[in-house]
Amino acid sequence: MLSLSEIQRGFRDALLAKGTALDRHVVPAEGIDIHRNTVLVSLKTALRDTFPVVWQLVGEGFFLYAAEEFIHTHPPARPRLADYGGEFPAFLADFPPGRSLAYLPDVARLEWLMARAIGAEDTIPLRPDALTGIAAGETPRLTFHFDPSIAYLESPWPVDAIWRANQPGVADASVSLDGGGGFFEIRRHEDLVEMRALTGAAFAFREALSGGATLETATEAARDAHPAFPLAEALRDLFRDVAICGLALAEKP
Amino acid sequence: MQAGQTRAGIGLRSPHAAAFEAERPPVGWVEVHAENYMGGGPAPRMLERVRRDYPVSLHGVGLSLGSAEGIDRDHLAALARAVRRFEPFLVSEHLAWSVTGGTYLNDLLPLPYTEEALAVVSRNVAAAQEALGRKILVENPSAYLRFKHSPIPEPAFLAELVRRTGCGLLCDVNNIQVSASNLGWDAAAYIEALPAEAIGEIHLAGHFRDERDGRVLLIDDHASPVAEPVWDLYRRAASRFGEAPTLIEWDKDIPTLAILLGEARKADQVTAAVRERHALPV
Repeated sequence: MLSLSEIQRGFRDALLAKGTALDRHVVPAEGIDIHRNTVLVSLKTALRDTFPVVWQLVGEGFFLYAAEEFIHTHPPARPRLADYGGEFPAFLADFPPGRSLAYLPDVARLEWLMARAIGAEDTIPLRPDALTGIAAGETPRLTFHFDPSIAYLESPWPVDAIWRANQPGVADASVSLDGGGGFFEIRRHEDLVEMRALTGAAFAFREALSGGATLETATEAARDAHPAFPLAEALRDLFRDVAICGLALAEKP
Repeated sequence: MQAGQTRAGIGLRSPHAAAFEAERPPVGWVEVHAENYMGGGPAPRMLERVRRDYPVSLHGVGLSLGSAEGIDRDHLAALARAVRRFEPFLVSEHLAWSVTGGTYLNDLLPLPYTEEALAVVSRNVAAAQEALGRKILVENPSAYLRFKHSPIPEPAFLAELVRRTGCGLLCDVNNIQVSASNLGWDAAAYIEALPAEAIGEIHLAGHFRDERDGRVLLIDDHASPVAEPVWDLYRRAASRFGEAPTLIEWDKDIPTLAILLGEARKADQVTAAVRERHALPV
């Protein structure tokens, strides 16, 4: 007689790896096929809902083939389908049949960040004058807490144009890949997800800050990209473009 | 209650969310899948607005009350936040499992009905009720197989779960029909065997009938109207479980609101007829 843990592991193996250890403990054994089908179909649907442009780019046959491989090697770890698929872009990058579409993983990264932005926790942004109370000597040590919907993506491909050309109702889906890539900021504003192209310096600045870097470190990162990076303007634009939900001072070095 | 409003509720799914806000259809109450409203953004804000006009029931699908390894604390905390935010009048989950070894198998998987499983489910239900600070309802699953070693009949398992944890039960009449047909149970006897006083909600939904080589398999797909044999069973359930609120679930090939309302009115007619019969002098 199997313990409940053994039964549940046997079920997992039967559903994801077609293991047969459970077959002699259940009647009818074909009942397991119904559960396997439910799991696969629902997870493929979840991936299609999160990555509709990838689906559009590669077509149903390729997508479902890739999704099934992904589900077997990367089954969900969290009990919410909205959390499923974060590893799909990296999986696509390593998936031999997809190698001819070099931009596919970055399109998938963009779609993942957009899906995360829609369901990110709601926050209350600070007002732009929140910085006025900070003593000048302390500003280098400032850190910023960004709205959790905000994310940054750098790509050698024009993923923004590819994404737009593959929205429902767009007649002309042709995109020139020669235009090069870009630096993108993704965020939810009101109830919509927005994507904005940034300069390399603004991207370096904001990405560093969003990752918890101090204002001093983020400014250095921006000046590596653009030595004349204008800090005052950059801070003003930051409060205009993205929601900052908190400020803190890093420990003195 | 508005004039013309149904007593039965309907499952609120995203295709009808805008209509709910714009038209306030005459539905008595709504139920949503808890997992779809755990984060931030537009969906939970919509539910907060709907909540002002309709009682809301939260129906969880991911807590995995049957997991031998216990329930996921983070998921339980997210459910507790949703309960605080939406103040549902009912909170329910399933007699099933979906998590093992940290993998989430996105299905309501079956349990063997043993003393070991009863101890596991009782512990998990108690932990959930403790974290949520309230009673939950546990729903009977639809079954496609049985374990060879499963000595406790499902209604008895549920009754003992109620006795040990103080939880209530969600009687899914369609699931009873599906399991009874697939596994050769007597559906009417199943309803008679449930502890009537524990039933806090009734579910009705459609199933798919797959007939091959003379064998009939029912699949609980929530993609069609409630089937006639399920309405027959519902008459029995309504007469035994009295005033428990009834919900129409429809999750795939979702029809117009008018069709969902028609199903809810049909459920109301059944309960009205049952009440009338019970009110007659003996």
